[in-house]
Amino acid sequence: MIHGFAEVASSPKFLGDERTDKDEFNLLEERFQLKAAYRPAKPEWLVSQNPEFFYKGDLLVDEYEEAVRYKIREAYGLVSPFSWMDVKLGRQILTWGTGDLLFINDAFPKNYESFFIGRDDEYLKVPSDAWKFSFASHWASADLVLIPFFTPDVSITGDRLSFYDNLLGRLVGEESDRLLTEPSFQPNNTQIAGRLYRDFGAYEVAAHVFKGYFNQPKGIKNADAKELFYPKLAIYGASIRGPVPFLGGITSGEVGYLDSLEDRSGKNRLIENATVKYLVGYERDFPKDLRLGVQYFAEQMLDFDEFKINSQSGDIPRDQFRQLLTLRITKLFWRQTLEASFFTFYSPTDSDTHFRPRLTWQTSDHWKFTVGANIFLGRHDWTEFGQLEDNDNLYMRLRYSF
Amino acid sequence: MKRFWLGLILFLCFASSEIVRSVYAQESPDGKSVMNEMLTAYYYSRQDAKSEVFMRIVNRQGQTRERRLILLRLDETDGGKQSYYIYFHEPPDVQGMSFLVLKHPGRDDDRWLYLPSIDLVKRIATSDKRTSFAGSDFTYEDVSGRDLDEDDHELLDEESLGERSTFVVKSTPKRFGEVEFSSRKFWIDKATHLPLKVEHYDLKGMLYKVYETSAIQTFQDTPTITKAVMKDLGSGHETEITIKTISYDVGITSDLFQERLLRRPPTKWIR
Repeated sequence: MIHGFAEVASSPKFLGDERTDKDEFNLLEERFQLKAAYRPAKPEWLVSQNPEFFYKGDLLVDEYEEAVRYKIREAYGLVSPFSWMDVKLGRQILTWGTGDLLFINDAFPKNYESFFIGRDDEYLKVPSDAWKFSFASHWASADLVLIPFFTPDVSITGDRLSFYDNLLGRLVGEESDRLLTEPSFQPNNTQIAGRLYRDFGAYEVAAHVFKGYFNQPKGIKNADAKELFYPKLAIYGASIRGPVPFLGGITSGEVGYLDSLEDRSGKNRLIENATVKYLVGYERDFPKDLRLGVQYFAEQMLDFDEFKINSQSGDIPRDQFRQLLTLRITKLFWRQTLEASFFTFYSPTDSDTHFRPRLTWQTSDHWKFTVGANIFLGRHDWTEFGQLEDNDNLYMRLRYSF
Repeated sequence: MKRFWLGLILFLCFASSEIVRSVYAQESPDGKSVMNEMLTAYYYSRQDAKSEVFMRIVNRQGQTRERRLILLRLDETDGGKQSYYIYFHEPPDVQGMSFLVLKHPGRDDDRWLYLPSIDLVKRIATSDKRTSFAGSDFTYEDVSGRDLDEDDHELLDEESLGERSTFVVKSTPKRFGEVEFSSRKFWIDKATHLPLKVEHYDLKGMLYKVYETSAIQTFQDTPTITKAVMKDLGSGHETEITIKTISYDVGITSDLFQERLLRRPPTKWIR
């Protein structure tokens, strides 16, 4: 079976930020996606392993970058060599954890550029070329993921979105010429992610572990040469999710200790310190297709004294506890064919906000029209959302699915 | 001779009272037991089932939307715990999504949705069971059954509906205003215990929604509703559900109903 879609998307900028490559828009593109799943019915030895082959590719005519690109989103084979084991090999999207657009133990790559310019949520996730082994038993289940090829987050480089360049100490656009050095491809640079999980009654509990690299260039190799790199990282974490008695709704909690392996003492000001991240969430549904979700997220910098002692003028000021609140409101109208959604990030410590209003109208089984906006507010130029203040945009997408 | 007559009289007394009692029981069951039989026949038929379901949603303008899905069901006990797995084949924008429901009578269901494009297993809050199922005129409760004890059931009458004789039962929610109807009136087939017609009355007592069974077929000795329509009288909106194929007792096991099943749809079952 072959499915897919054709889509046109456009995202004019409110403020006409002139730092970036194009002044008037963030996004102007036509996309054509095809996906195919094949589940062979023979030979017999293979059928008994429940085989599945999946392929999904995007042809993108990107008028912002003035380029035509073909990207394989997913291409994997999946078999069960034993009744208790699945192996998924190839390019795949990997997601786990309990956050809603916030990630602690999910260290798999993201594309925040897509997220901020108005592409579909699907494109927040960047595929990984990986082996994934899943084990099931009555006692617990486990996933083990090996990622031999490092894939970082799609970084904001200034071409499409202006941002705060800590090497230049100001908001920059395309003149930013940072050099991002990725870890080399070697067997011992393979990233490993593991998850052990089971249910206790209605509650899902998981333990997480990750060893690899920061997905963002959190280390400065050479400030004069504007050379950044992806430092080594280990994460140890846990999560829980389940219903709230009496009140109804779903609550979740997640915690992760991010061990910055190349700066464990926190003395090196050029490399991100270790942190502990905390997340608590609650979501509830109400009559007439209304849903509300709130999250509280905190990021505690460890060795904060070392950070303060070693900071130099020009370094980005940081709080020991960075806090973030999110609010999601979703309401469906017209027999669930029109969805109004409003997502907000607000940080009381960074004094910045990101609003994501969106309307999605499913006019038929095939046509979908989406209109939304990305709005950024902030007191300072260097905070996560504040740095994007000049990139406010309104986007529209029209998609035909088949 | 005296003892014979006494014995005969005693026998007749007992026998007749037995006969009277059984006739009475057959003629006038109470509403709750009729409803319970319906719930068991409709939602808990056999031990497990695999079905291919087709839904056609039609609005007043005649525009249609379609859903095709595979439904796996496993019962722990009749009227008790149940597990559902749903895999969407159509329409294209939800193709590949899967849905897991663990139903526990007496408390909220556990529900998960898997979005394959971002590999996300989402836990769904389920406080409101009266939301539409997949944009259709059926609610979650219509699809998976409403707890017997949520309503008071009163046997109103017996009527013939076409060729079938039915019990007419009125079900009134115990807590008025908690759901959008003030009462529902069921026509329940005496032979199969399946619902043939359900009228929904709103909080003002006005008829606003009608369910009607249009086909019953027997598979593996089990009478099964294979076509039914839910009509919203106010909006002119309607949804037709067709069971394209169904097989019972196919050997679905409880270890299927886990997160693994969402992330890795079982080839054997979703074809």
